[in-house]
Amino acid sequence: MRKGLRYCLFVLFLISTLQVFSQLSPGELSSAHAHLEGMKNCTSCHILGEKETTSKCLECHTEIQQLINKKEGYHASTEVNGKKCAECHGEHFGRDFQITRFDKESFDHNLTGYQLEGKHRKITCVDCHKSALIQEKISQKKGETFLGLGTECLACHTDFHQNTLSANCTSCHNQNTFRPATGFNHSTTKFALIGKHKALECAACHKTSQKTGKEFQQFAGIEFESCTSCHKDVHENKFGNDCRKCHNEFSFNEVKSISRFNHNQTDFPLLGKHQSVNCKTCHKTSLTKALKHTRCTDCHSDYHEQQFVKKGISPDCKECHTVKGFSPSNFTIEEHKRTHFPLEGSHTATPCFVCHKTENRWNFANKGTRCIDCHENFHKDVLAVKYLPENDCKSCHSTSVWSEIQFDHNQTKFKLEGKHKEINCRNCHFSDQNQTLTQQFTNLSPSCEDCHEDTHFKQFEVNKRTECRRCHTSSNWKPEEFNHSNARFKLDGEHVGLDCVQCHKPTDGLIHNYIIYKFEDITCAACH
Amino acid sequence: MSGLAHKIYLFSLVTITVFVFIYLAVYGTDYYLTDHDQRFFHDQNELLKPGGFIGHGAGIIGALLMTVGVFGYMARKRFRSLARLGVLKHWLEFHIFLCSLGPVLVLYHTAFKFGGLVAISFWSMVAVVVSGIIGRFIYLQIPRTIEGRAMSMNELNIKKAKFNADLKTQFSLDSAFVELVNASTISEDDLYKGTFFSKILKRLRFEKQQFKLINTELRTRKIPKSKEREILRFVRAEIVLGRRIAWLTTMQNYLRYWHVLHLPFALIMLIIMIVHIIIALLFGSTWIF
Repeated sequence: MRKGLRYCLFVLFLISTLQVFSQLSPGELSSAHAHLEGMKNCTSCHILGEKETTSKCLECHTEIQQLINKKEGYHASTEVNGKKCAECHGEHFGRDFQITRFDKESFDHNLTGYQLEGKHRKITCVDCHKSALIQEKISQKKGETFLGLGTECLACHTDFHQNTLSANCTSCHNQNTFRPATGFNHSTTKFALIGKHKALECAACHKTSQKTGKEFQQFAGIEFESCTSCHKDVHENKFGNDCRKCHNEFSFNEVKSISRFNHNQTDFPLLGKHQSVNCKTCHKTSLTKALKHTRCTDCHSDYHEQQFVKKGISPDCKECHTVKGFSPSNFTIEEHKRTHFPLEGSHTATPCFVCHKTENRWNFANKGTRCIDCHENFHKDVLAVKYLPENDCKSCHSTSVWSEIQFDHNQTKFKLEGKHKEINCRNCHFSDQNQTLTQQFTNLSPSCEDCHEDTHFKQFEVNKRTECRRCHTSSNWKPEEFNHSNARFKLDGEHVGLDCVQCHKPTDGLIHNYIIYKFEDITCAACH
Repeated sequence: MSGLAHKIYLFSLVTITVFVFIYLAVYGTDYYLTDHDQRFFHDQNELLKPGGFIGHGAGIIGALLMTVGVFGYMARKRFRSLARLGVLKHWLEFHIFLCSLGPVLVLYHTAFKFGGLVAISFWSMVAVVVSGIIGRFIYLQIPRTIEGRAMSMNELNIKKAKFNADLKTQFSLDSAFVELVNASTISEDDLYKGTFFSKILKRLRFEKQQFKLINTELRTRKIPKSKEREILRFVRAEIVLGRRIAWLTTMQNYLRYWHVLHLPFALIMLIIMIVHIIIALLFGSTWIF
């Protein structure tokens, strides 16, 4: 037995020298618990006399204890409730041992209290359960735990809105996709989308920029009180900044209240006839599309078809017309006088259309300045060419009065004298025969009787001709040239003082009565 | 115990040991082939882990078997009061059985995970088992009486002389054949040169050649087959006897040395096993209790 005792002591010595007591551990601890390696630390996890370690585990892993107390998380789920830690989490299996291991494909994440939906179901565990996202202070090393993640979106996801919107992401987004924000209802904002705003891409209003070095799309704090916050004021504030007075959200071009629109606030105030023109007449495609309006021809066609072009440039309509109407024109006589054909005389009183309107169409083409260009040669070939050289009416007529003839009759064979100077040309050169006006300028007889009526009924006819000039002059019809002394009955005595009528009595009872100047019987008895 | 009963007894012991070894190996193949750090997640972990129902049970039963096997055999050998209790040879066989089955069960208790303090116990156990096998070999090389007592050199020489005489008288073989057989049982000094194992191998190779020569020689004598087989068995026994006589001194020395090794390993194993059990109890591993 002494020999056996020696063996025992030898063995104990051997064990102590080999420090094998430090090898009491059934196996190396995992890396997470490596700091608990060694005999002194056994009771850090184990309770002497008891196999159970759960209470010791939870002494360190307080975050799990807290979750269990709060009945939150996987460890408070029905699947785990009542289990000991060691049933799922082995130890003493070496540094590389996974204390926490489970079938990630079949794990029911609902048990954690955070239901995976949408894309969360497709990603891998480590996409979320990674050290960078663990914010809570927990006993386990980051990267080796599934704890410590917040359930709010921003615990994992970057706040794309950079704290400009609510932290409750799910009020707008779902777990299927970040874009579009299907849960977002623009109607719940202060700016409900109406009309074409509905069809717009969000980015049209919510611009993307760089903020704090990151892409940032602004959703909050966008000015929307005035349309011009987003839209360019094409009217350059001429109509105020309340665009909705005229426009609506359905169409910029559909002006909702044209009657209220004050066109006079534009660069083109509506005056005259423009006031009664329908908007569409000018604004054919769009009421808001800018129209050229510096020249009338920007809208109006050139009625005159470039008849007024000078040096290739047409004068604008307003030089002659006003917005009150095309007619009458404000082209004055004075202005006409500055043309190639200054209006004079009767031309000034002649309506424009007389000269410039043919077949119901105004025509201002240069017709020529000669009378014949407008007027018909009334005399045709009746008048001798020498008195109408080159059909120039001005040789006799003036523009003042047609009937005012400036013809020097003395150049003819029949010089005008006496009353002939006073009478109208027509009296001699025109005759109305059978209601047909006949003119005659040539071959007119210089004899009085060819023009004048013989009121004496051939009493003084000699050789079948009555020579009026024997008694009369062209000054008047008084027989100034008559000398009773040259007659068969010479006046003397009391006869001298008598009125002619006392002797020369008119006939009576004839269709045409006349004064009898020539008596067949000149004896006293014939009268007395 | 009759020869047959003894054979049945031995067969039963071996069968139990082999069955347990194979059964547990087959039952836990998948588990035991799983990496250590993955076993926790194995379906059989709760059963086959060292603290599991089967694993822990195997450890407890194996430890008990070894304890009984070691201390029972020690007691039988050391306490006079037990000296008449059964045949020592049978005790040794039962000792070997218990200390084979026990380590087999302990082996499965370890789940083939050898580390920590208890590994010293395990490897000590392995050392004890291996040394036991070697010891058993050495033990067998020392001829013994039917009770198991080691025979002296004189007794062996007498026995060998009787063998020679029997060859001549019982099988009517000539002197030349007997000489041939004797030549196969030469003393160790004639052959042994080199290391321990090379000496053994040389001896066994020599004996094999001699046996083949004897066999050839025996056939030239045209002896009936049945008798020939009996002679060969007889010759083989004589060759073995000769070998054992040749190795007797050496083996006796080896057996002495072996005892010096075998027991300390057993003690180391037992002490650490006790420490292991205490620690296990301290940490609440009480198996089914």
